[in-house]
Amino acid sequence: MQLYPNHIVETSPWPIVTSISLANTLLSIVLILQGFNSLSLKISIISLILSMSLWWKDVIIESTYQGHHTTIVMSGIKIGFLLFILSEIFVFLSVFWAQLNAALVPEIELGGLWPPLGIEAVNPFGIPLLNTLLLLSSGATVTWAHYSMIKNTNKKETIISLFLTILYATIFTLLQLFEYYYAPFSFVDGVYGCTFYAGTGLHALHVLVGNTFLIVALYRIIKNHFTQTHHLGFELAIIYWHFVDIVWLLLFIIFYYWAS
Amino acid sequence: MNVTKRVINLKNLSGLRSAVATSLRPFSAAAVMKSDDHKIDIQVGKGAPPERFGTDEEQATGMARLERLAALEGKSPFDMEPLQLMKKGTKTEPTVVASGAPWRLIGCQGPPGEDHELIWIKVERDHPYDRCPECGNVYKLSE
Repeated sequence: MQLYPNHIVETSPWPIVTSISLANTLLSIVLILQGFNSLSLKISIISLILSMSLWWKDVIIESTYQGHHTTIVMSGIKIGFLLFILSEIFVFLSVFWAQLNAALVPEIELGGLWPPLGIEAVNPFGIPLLNTLLLLSSGATVTWAHYSMIKNTNKKETIISLFLTILYATIFTLLQLFEYYYAPFSFVDGVYGCTFYAGTGLHALHVLVGNTFLIVALYRIIKNHFTQTHHLGFELAIIYWHFVDIVWLLLFIIFYYWAS
Repeated sequence: MNVTKRVINLKNLSGLRSAVATSLRPFSAAAVMKSDDHKIDIQVGKGAPPERFGTDEEQATGMARLERLAALEGKSPFDMEPLQLMKKGTKTEPTVVASGAPWRLIGCQGPPGEDHELIWIKVERDHPYDRCPECGNVYKLSE
């Protein structure tokens, strides 16, 4: 009989499969940079997404259906997730550093100006402001969803507000795509283009990941996986979403507003 | 694999220890899902209607359910405290450690005080007894 609250995980192939897929993805990127075609990358990315999904499916089985997630296990997962967010903060820190390093004391080759000569900066009070409002509203709606789950146990309200959050996130992504398509400068347009697209592109990837996390949470709410007090997957999705929102606010201020 | 579900709620909590899965033996390699090694006995709640969120009493399963139901009564079903020993175990009176598994790791510090640094000892079920190499304390697994 199990006398301890910890979770000893059963033997699983997914960690090694995910590691191999990830290694393949990175090596395929190197291959593309060396001029080969992208078939290897497509296969690697598909296998990466599949192995991650299968791994997380197993986690859902262990928690919701087998009940292994006691308080200690949940605490361990929360700590692990916060450490992951910390590592993401450092990733964004490096991109912000690159931008500020180039922008605070502009090189003479750029004309000593920021934005550099010839670059037409995006108007921050156009679509970027709308995007900011969208993300802030999505933060509010996701908090609404969480509260209605805890306080009222009103499932319909939770589903509607979470759906609104996902809707705002999707509109944000589409607006960013629109901006990217019609932007006057591109990734290769000097250090301004490079840092701008590196920062906003990295953020857009995180929005996609956060959106997916929220969609999975919505699915699990509809399928009754969560209870009023035990809904770790939902809480972690919300923490991740707030992180994405805060990074966008910093992006807006430093990349869009101050840089123009 | 036979899976039987048994509804456990606050009323029949006392019968819990016997009801808990004999199959939850994570140290055994048979934890890998093979044929009909063992029956799996998972506690489930009575469930909730789909229009609202379930409470933990209705919906939690397995170990989390055990913990949640015991916490509602103010106690914990797990043996997490270090074992306070009054005297050394001897061959005739070994220190019995609770376990349901084929082996368990014990950290010995030389009871009754803390005579030596922590030494990890693997106490196995098929050994007649296991001793600490530093202080000679005798350990044995319970049933």
